[in-house]
Amino acid sequence: MRANTLLVGAAVSALGILVAMPLGFVLLQAIFPELAQGSLARPLAHLAGVLADPKLVELTINTLKLGACVVLAAAAIGIPLGTLRGLFDLPGARLWDVLMLVPFMIPPYISALGWIMLLQPRGYLQQLLGVHAGPALFSFGGVVFVMTLNVVPVVYFAVSRTMAASGSRLALVGRVCGAGAWRCFWRITLPLALPGIAASLLLVFAMAIEEYGTPAALAANAGFFVLVTGIERRFSEWPIDLPGASVLSLILVALAMLAFVWQRRMLTGRGYETTTGKPARGENLPLGAWRWPAAALFAVIVAVATFAPLFAIAATAFSRTLSGGLAVGNLSLTHFQAIAAGGSEASGALATSLMLGAGAAIVTGLTGVLVAYCVVKTRTRGRAVLDALAVLPNTMPGVVVGVGLILAWNQAFWPATPYNTWGILLLAYCCLLLPYPVRYSHAALMQIGDNLEAAARVHGAGTVTALARILLPLLAPSLAAAMLLVFAVASRELVASLLLAPTGVQTVSLFIWRQFEQGSVGQGMAMSLVTVALTTTVMLLATLWLERRQARSV
Amino acid sequence: MMKIKPLIGALAFGALLAAGQAQALTVYTAGPAGLIKQLADDFKKQTGVSVDVFQADTGKVMARLEAEASNPKADVVISASWDSALDLHKRGWLLAYASPNAAKVPAEYKGPSYVAQGLSALAIAWNTKSGTPRPADWADLAKPEFKGLVNMPDPAQSGTALELLSGLQSARGADAWRLFADLKRNDMAIAGANAQAMNPVLQGAKAAVFGAVDYVALENQAKGESIEVIFPASGTVIAGRPMMILKSSRQQQDAKRFIDFVLSDAGQARVAATYLIPARQDVQAKRPVIKDIKALPMENEAQRAGRQALLERFTTLFGRK
Repeated sequence: MRANTLLVGAAVSALGILVAMPLGFVLLQAIFPELAQGSLARPLAHLAGVLADPKLVELTINTLKLGACVVLAAAAIGIPLGTLRGLFDLPGARLWDVLMLVPFMIPPYISALGWIMLLQPRGYLQQLLGVHAGPALFSFGGVVFVMTLNVVPVVYFAVSRTMAASGSRLALVGRVCGAGAWRCFWRITLPLALPGIAASLLLVFAMAIEEYGTPAALAANAGFFVLVTGIERRFSEWPIDLPGASVLSLILVALAMLAFVWQRRMLTGRGYETTTGKPARGENLPLGAWRWPAAALFAVIVAVATFAPLFAIAATAFSRTLSGGLAVGNLSLTHFQAIAAGGSEASGALATSLMLGAGAAIVTGLTGVLVAYCVVKTRTRGRAVLDALAVLPNTMPGVVVGVGLILAWNQAFWPATPYNTWGILLLAYCCLLLPYPVRYSHAALMQIGDNLEAAARVHGAGTVTALARILLPLLAPSLAAAMLLVFAVASRELVASLLLAPTGVQTVSLFIWRQFEQGSVGQGMAMSLVTVALTTTVMLLATLWLERRQARSV
Repeated sequence: MMKIKPLIGALAFGALLAAGQAQALTVYTAGPAGLIKQLADDFKKQTGVSVDVFQADTGKVMARLEAEASNPKADVVISASWDSALDLHKRGWLLAYASPNAAKVPAEYKGPSYVAQGLSALAIAWNTKSGTPRPADWADLAKPEFKGLVNMPDPAQSGTALELLSGLQSARGADAWRLFADLKRNDMAIAGANAQAMNPVLQGAKAAVFGAVDYVALENQAKGESIEVIFPASGTVIAGRPMMILKSSRQQQDAKRFIDFVLSDAGQARVAATYLIPARQDVQAKRPVIKDIKALPMENEAQRAGRQALLERFTTLFGRK
């Protein structure tokens, strides 16, 4: 039990440093309006003013509506695709995995901008085909559409990895006992994949209620506003209102906690253990005549989710001027040359972002497994609190987490602090992205039978050996997918980076943002394209390397 | 515990790095991106003092200042919002300093503890290929030819857009509100921060920006975009971008030297190169300067104080929440 205590201790300390510290300071800021000035005077004095806002109810309802619609749409696309990928012998499976990851590497504000430039009047679509979709895009439906495409990868990877892990053995038993194929899917396969589905939908909900850029850019003129609008406004209107923003963030947290409780309710009282050590056929089911229709479905989704925004980005990057439009005479490499002429600035930013992305993936991966293990496999008291803590950061806007980090680490009493070094960015990314590995590992661990670990222990393995030799290899597919998601987001995170960037440090997202700010849309898009290409390459290499390792160890 | 050790190591290493840079001057600044880098490089060459820069939009710069208030890090702050300087001055955060080089900066653009780095005017940015008649004044954008074709930066996000509304209200009173209502009836859209308002005009989805920040638009024009920057006949707001030294700075001498440098011939030439109007009126600009642009009267303190109410009224008029 000593090792177990150590593991729990490590999980608690990691969560404490990465999550509880910054979020605790946000909470304190919400209570003590003058906290930033180092004073605890007038607690809760501002609360009435913030909560008396008559628009608050409408904004909360809008936020919930948006979250619910994005969750439903992401489930409608992600679950079927994930099922096809996880259970069946899909042509080009690895290719689809990579292409499904790309939307995640495009920052939300760039993909929204891409969609605008594609679909607005006189946009690229009209230049090519003579029609535009302005009214449809600039509406609530447009927001749901764009946001759903951004978050589908989260559902797709969770569902495909969960389905693959539970396999088709139990469904085949159902078939043998006389049930039809659909009945087996609805009654056996789908319920067994619930942990993965629920975990990913919780992540999607949290992302949807936290996202600011897309609803603001697409639906503000249609009169649709969400809670985050109010938070952002408190950061842009003079004077800056940190306490008000903190209070509103806590409302977002409360909404996400409701979703979290609901998710736990849904999963408790049932067993999901399908990885029991019994030999299972590793192969996927053949699709037969449905092979090509299934591939065509993937092609359509990828064309819309991945290639449509990429096209808009590339078209802008290769155009000399935006007003010149899609014309041969307007084709130019000038934006790429401008980036190259900047010399080490762009490559330095790329290197920083890739390193920070990799660092965040490793730290959150290790912490995520640890936390999920303590929550699922130990009987630690208060493990539900640990679990809840690991969802929170995902529901807070990056700028609020950033303020929490400044308040936490810029205190004179620390003998040494990561503030104003790249360490603060690493802490920020780890805090914001820890939910992915935790939720993915959590779902995967629920599928792994306790008797596997028990068997190892009976044969003399300690907790750590059993964790490293039995659980980790079984977790690997889910964990690797989560770490790739972390890498993808961390290497392009903007909002927290903008607030926390140490003096003199430049990340890719900051580089791109500065181009946009200066009105150089073309250069910003060119840099985005370079970044997406580079990140994709890194992820491809990582995936190939992992696969080769796995192949060797079997 | 082994998971945490590398992290602590990294933190300690980071702290060491931070300690090594203690001599550098720390500048927090809002846009233009290239400018601060050039100023920092030139300043280092001239004085040997290196400059650490944090750059973001004005909102983030101020949020960071606010969150750091108990343990401030910045020496010099350059903002894009004149109001932020007035407010920090009122709070007593700023060091009083009158740079000898500020003599040629107009009195409206300097105060006891702040001085403009450069100026920018609010203008109409018009797409020349949009098929609309060339607008000459704000009111033209409320005409039927521009129905649904005008964008405006969100005054809640863009400090300069708010200055324009406030300037128009102070100068024209009820007439200004009639103009805003006409623009609303003409389906003018409110579109995020400055850059977000500009892009649809470049691509042609919209024909004009009401209240574009001129230097960005002028640079776009110089790069070959088919837009024209028009300064309205009835007058506009010319907004200063204030520089200030924090009282908490531990390098006040270097900070003063930096302000002096930005206001020197060489520093102002760098400012002029970004299409901003140099703060010093005796420095050559490559664009129309104060005397070429009809300006609305400067606002007094009471008028500035009414901005919160104005924003409230404007956002209600445009159905924003």
